[in-house]
Amino acid sequence: MKKLALLTIFILILGTMSTSMINPVHAQNDPSILLRIAVQADKQILNQLDKKYGTQIPNNIQILYDKGHASVKSLDESLPDNVKQAKKDFLSSMDSFMQISRIMSQSSSDKLIVVTVYKKSNTDLTSEIDRLENYVKTIETISKKSNIDVKNDFVKIHNLIQELRNQINDQNVINNDLVGQIKIILDSIKNQISESSSKHQSNFIKQFFGKLLDKIEKQLTNAPDDNIDQIQIDRGYELILEIRDLLSKNQINSAKIVYSELKELMKNIGY
Amino acid sequence: MISLIEPLQMKDSLGDDGILFVRNDGIFDTMVKTPLLVASMIIVAALLPIQSSFSSPRDLDLIIYPDGTTHVSTEIDIDPLLTDYELNLFGNTIDNLVVIGDDEFLLDTVVIDDFALIQTFGSSIISIEYDIHDLVSKQGRLWTFSLDSSSDFTLLLPKNSAIVGMTNLPINMEIINEQNQLTLSSGQTEIDYFFSSNSISNPIRNTNTENDYFRYVIIIVVPIILLISTVIILRTKQKNQKPIDQVNTIQKNEILEIETIFKIKPDLREDDKELVKFIFNNGGEVLESDLRKKFLQPRTTMWRAVKRLEREGLITIEKKDLQNLIKLRKNMENES
Repeated sequence: MKKLALLTIFILILGTMSTSMINPVHAQNDPSILLRIAVQADKQILNQLDKKYGTQIPNNIQILYDKGHASVKSLDESLPDNVKQAKKDFLSSMDSFMQISRIMSQSSSDKLIVVTVYKKSNTDLTSEIDRLENYVKTIETISKKSNIDVKNDFVKIHNLIQELRNQINDQNVINNDLVGQIKIILDSIKNQISESSSKHQSNFIKQFFGKLLDKIEKQLTNAPDDNIDQIQIDRGYELILEIRDLLSKNQINSAKIVYSELKELMKNIGY
Repeated sequence: MISLIEPLQMKDSLGDDGILFVRNDGIFDTMVKTPLLVASMIIVAALLPIQSSFSSPRDLDLIIYPDGTTHVSTEIDIDPLLTDYELNLFGNTIDNLVVIGDDEFLLDTVVIDDFALIQTFGSSIISIEYDIHDLVSKQGRLWTFSLDSSSDFTLLLPKNSAIVGMTNLPINMEIINEQNQLTLSSGQTEIDYFFSSNSISNPIRNTNTENDYFRYVIIIVVPIILLISTVIILRTKQKNQKPIDQVNTIQKNEILEIETIFKIKPDLREDDKELVKFIFNNGGEVLESDLRKKFLQPRTTMWRAVKRLEREGLITIEKKDLQNLIKLRKNMENES
């Protein structure tokens, strides 16, 4: 029986350790991924160089490309046996290609554009509508869960989205008034959801506060032993009573506000 | 004066010359096996928290749209005794922020610069989704994604994008809807990409080698087989073993027919029904990651769907090799 117990423990240890070893192994999962990414980058860079410079590639870029291409070759040769070398080759090749692409971009007339600015240039309005639609779908799912009657609002929103899509297709412009209308309706729905969920969750929050206030009450009971000012302790008890009173009247939001004050007080007295 | 307390083994252990002899046949057990057992237990106990921290469901998924805006969805384990949680949003140009707590209810959230103050009030897991414009910049035709993440994350690149540079090693790569999805480790990451209609920008196809499977077999399957073998040996010794075929038959019969499941749960959502059908057709169990791949859903959406099915009592969620294994429950009819 002892032998069996020892064997079981051994297997347990082996099993536990082997699963914890999965992470580093997984981190090197299929090293051929590195080769595929590097080869694709190599081809893409070559394509860009060909388009931009033809046969007149500047010397500094040519040197970088040769270095990157040599690393890709070395990466190919390193796999599958020498994963450590393959990783080095991958990073080296990607670094070279990154430098080339950045040199090429800097030499173009375009300046660095942050996406927020780019977004306003109306060049990809479809993405903006797609995101808005995804957001609408998320809110729609939550609203169904919250059992609030906003079906008509969503019908209206979907119609507005369709109108936006049609405008983009026809004129390639986005009507900000329509987007504004959608956002107003969504805000109204979100408010209704918040109200509904806060009602639904009031019992949950009451239980949560109950546990928390019991814990704080115990801390306040022991507070005189820690030489805490009695005025502060009394104020703490007052706030607890106030929160319990508000919770009994279902005034959750007010209870939250008073709780913030209690939390600040407990922080000030070192709890 | 005669001592009232006499060592029990004194008579046996004292020889003629009064030399103390000690029985040594239990020494091995006492001095070697017991410390070995204790040490083993300590190692197991020490490794278990590591295991559970690995399996804690903290996910971060990013999707880059063609215009460079990034959709972020994340799931975070939080202390249910906290009233609020401060979340770093990676930037301050945030749109369409939605924070959902346990039971899929909206949580009150205030965004202050690049932080969100979320009133969690007892939630143990929160799901957050938002769009952010700060993570991607563009110069000429070159797009650059840049993120300093505290955890590993997945990144879905736009269609027809081709990576031309990156600063660190990817953990994994998959194809989802003809788009490349990279799994990247925590820390500073920069990825440069171009858009191109050229064929070379097509997604990079996965071809797993046999070596990887072999490695997984050694690391995962062998210990499991050993453990199962031990259990089987133990059961054989106790003469309580049932033939394997019989056990399998019992397990298959215990899973209800799909129509019966839907009859028991008539209010099930259509998309949930599809999930149940897929699990049923897969022999009653499937990995959550396989569900994501099959239904092309982000982690958070699939996680919520799975939790919904769990609440309905249709499935159980178990951990298997750091992944969620979804199993159809066998005794639904009895409970309903």
